[in-house]
Amino acid sequence: MPLATAPGNGITKLTNCRLVRGSDLVWDDIWVSSATGKILRSQSTFYDELILPDETIDLGGRIVSPGFIECQLNGAYGFNFSTVLDDMSQYVKQVRDLNRRLVQTGVTSYVPTVTSQTSHLYKKVLPHLGPSGRTRVAEDGAESLGAHLEGPFLNPGKNGVHNTKVLREAESIADLEEMYGAKNINPAVAGTALPIPVKMITAAPELGQMTKIIPELRSRGIVCSIGHSEATYEEASAAVAAGATMITHLFNAMRPLHHRNPGIFGVLGTANNNNDNDNNNSSRPYFGIIADGIHLHPATTKIAWNAHSAGFILVTDAMHLVGLPDGTYPWTNGGEAADHFITKKGAVLLLEGSDHTIAGSSIALLDCVNNFLRWSGASVPEALRAVTATPATMLGVQPAKGSLEAGADADLVVLDDETGAVEGRGRSLAVHQVWKFGAKVFDGASEAEAGEGL
Amino acid sequence: MRLIIRDDAEAASLYVANYIIDRIKHYSPTPANPFVLGLPTGSSPLGVYRILVERYKAGEISFENVVTFNMASPGDEYIGIPRDHPESYHSFMWKHFFSHVNIHPSRVHILDGNAPDLEAECVGYEAKIRAAGGIDLFLAGIGEDGHIAFNEPGSSLASRTRVKTLAYDTILANSRFFGNDLTQVPRMALTVGVQTVLEAREVIAIILGARKALALQRCVEQGVNHMWTLSSLQLHPHPMIVCDEDATLELQVKTVKYFKSIEQVACAQGFEQILPSRMRTGPRQATTSTPPASPKTIITPSVEPAEDVTPESPTIFAPQPITSQLLRPQTPAAEYPVRSVSPDLVPDRMASRIPDPRFTRRLTPNPEQQQMAALVLGA
Repeated sequence: MPLATAPGNGITKLTNCRLVRGSDLVWDDIWVSSATGKILRSQSTFYDELILPDETIDLGGRIVSPGFIECQLNGAYGFNFSTVLDDMSQYVKQVRDLNRRLVQTGVTSYVPTVTSQTSHLYKKVLPHLGPSGRTRVAEDGAESLGAHLEGPFLNPGKNGVHNTKVLREAESIADLEEMYGAKNINPAVAGTALPIPVKMITAAPELGQMTKIIPELRSRGIVCSIGHSEATYEEASAAVAAGATMITHLFNAMRPLHHRNPGIFGVLGTANNNNDNDNNNSSRPYFGIIADGIHLHPATTKIAWNAHSAGFILVTDAMHLVGLPDGTYPWTNGGEAADHFITKKGAVLLLEGSDHTIAGSSIALLDCVNNFLRWSGASVPEALRAVTATPATMLGVQPAKGSLEAGADADLVVLDDETGAVEGRGRSLAVHQVWKFGAKVFDGASEAEAGEGL
Repeated sequence: MRLIIRDDAEAASLYVANYIIDRIKHYSPTPANPFVLGLPTGSSPLGVYRILVERYKAGEISFENVVTFNMASPGDEYIGIPRDHPESYHSFMWKHFFSHVNIHPSRVHILDGNAPDLEAECVGYEAKIRAAGGIDLFLAGIGEDGHIAFNEPGSSLASRTRVKTLAYDTILANSRFFGNDLTQVPRMALTVGVQTVLEAREVIAIILGARKALALQRCVEQGVNHMWTLSSLQLHPHPMIVCDEDATLELQVKTVKYFKSIEQVACAQGFEQILPSRMRTGPRQATTSTPPASPKTIITPSVEPAEDVTPESPTIFAPQPITSQLLRPQTPAAEYPVRSVSPDLVPDRMASRIPDPRFTRRLTPNPEQQQMAALVLGA
């Protein structure tokens, strides 16, 4: 229980702030409860329960956004989710540390991503990466919504930095169960009421029987994403019709758009009228965009936004090197030992021995939002939607996440609007406070004071 | 009656807000002796609420020990507007006032149009007002037909809190809140009665805009009339109407000039509304022993049994004077301020004012005596 010993009802009222509501910033108060971890319907709390908040916090006109949701995070602060440690209790501890640090960047929920690895690694790490918000402890920091398996059923021609030696083709769901461990992707085998650890799988639909496997994965509550794929427009459309609802880092690791063969990107140009009876499968998929200025040209980002803004999700694809100094770092990539090296130079990560193979990013999600704000001319609520409401809907965690409506989890980011504060930077947001389950877990103002005190 | 005229709606709202704040501050309410405020909804009081909220946020006023009663609530068992409906009065009061100030929800009272037993809700509401010690200040708005609360034209001036069917004009006016769909507008409402308003120790009506001008004229320049229920204010000991210039369009020039001159003189003399000092500071402990006043326990959420409320409609049995039975021992009517009385004329003689002793012997000139004296001298 978060600070359950505090007297009173644990209700905090945030006032003098602008809430992200749809495509508007609305001046309104928001009431959160650390007892239930949820956003309250303030009016009925007042009239029906006759309760006033314990505390009222004046946010001085700042922006309140739902907590950010990161859909592709490979690791951070020197820890890589695709790692097997001799002592797996150390792994658990590292994940916990990462969660507590990650939440300070405004990311309150995320999907830990495991790259193409051997079956051994999946079976070792997946039990530790499943949904972690059940306990609803604010101090635990960022919450896993379930793991994202990016591989190994990927196209060797579009492997990016994935190790081609471990890539496989799947002929049936059994191949996936064997690879990942049946209890990790099959609720029937898991035999528990708890959700299975895997939330999302990226695969190349044109390989093996993957397209035919998609409906089965969907029925198990797993999001299927097209990525690292040579799929043509027709193959991608078939995958979408079968139930794929996401495209992993659009434009990267897939065929480029050709006007006579638009490839995977072309799916976003589909009219919404095929398969009208099958309501979900007919809609255009969501897609991840890495707005770090390296993976994609700003204009490309804008084109994707214009093509299908309702499916636009900003992701970092950040590696474990995020937050570390420049240098060359060892990396376990499919093998049992650290057999590869990544060179970090500023925000650019390159596979050692190559000039142009990008090995993920090292950018924070809020920086992606700021980049996108500057490049696209989108409004602040629109840009924030790409890291809140849209990913929440994609992952099926609405209305608990990605929303400021009453009844949603009280995961909040309070943002400073620093537009114009720094010459030449244009529009820019900065994290002021982060709230998780109705309790404040990060305060930039007090951190700054503490820093000055030293 | 005081009629305060201001140039525009903003200035009129500011006057009312300042007046309320001054009253609360003078009263210095405590948890045991709260200030009881009656509140309206509608567009007229919006400016007042906005200023009250601003002043609260500036730390100039606290609503901690203020108890509120709302005048009316649209409710219709057929349509059933839920409390959370954006047009419910719960939502209105929440959005414009309660959510911004430090008033405790247990001190807030709004008639519940969704109560299972509406009659019991009305009777209980009157009981709660009584339990709170009566209303110190009732702020009111009016409709274009001069209705106060939802006491539509033709309402009994002795009415109390009850279910009221709405006039067609009111339904039309309210339809703008329901997408101009007449079928969506509630046909009935719960409202406090005219008598309930008149029992407040002080009543202020805020009337803004040219559309209300006729109603203002009827209520100020013409007689008490149930077709313009606001006119019943003429029977209240301490009524005040605050309006903007637009609302005075139907008044005679001499009426406007008269009330403006009253205000000027009053200001020059340093008072606004003449209220007995006991009402201003509210030492109600002196009257707690009188039968009608309930013990000072504030607001039991449960509806009290209606035993002592049997004469809900006293007029059915015997006409009652307009002044309340309920609050008679402390009603303003019994407590007119004591003014210095002009002394009676006691004639005296001019001569007595002259210090010269010779004159003290002289009587008031008397023609007969003078004639006598002349005769003596002449003889």
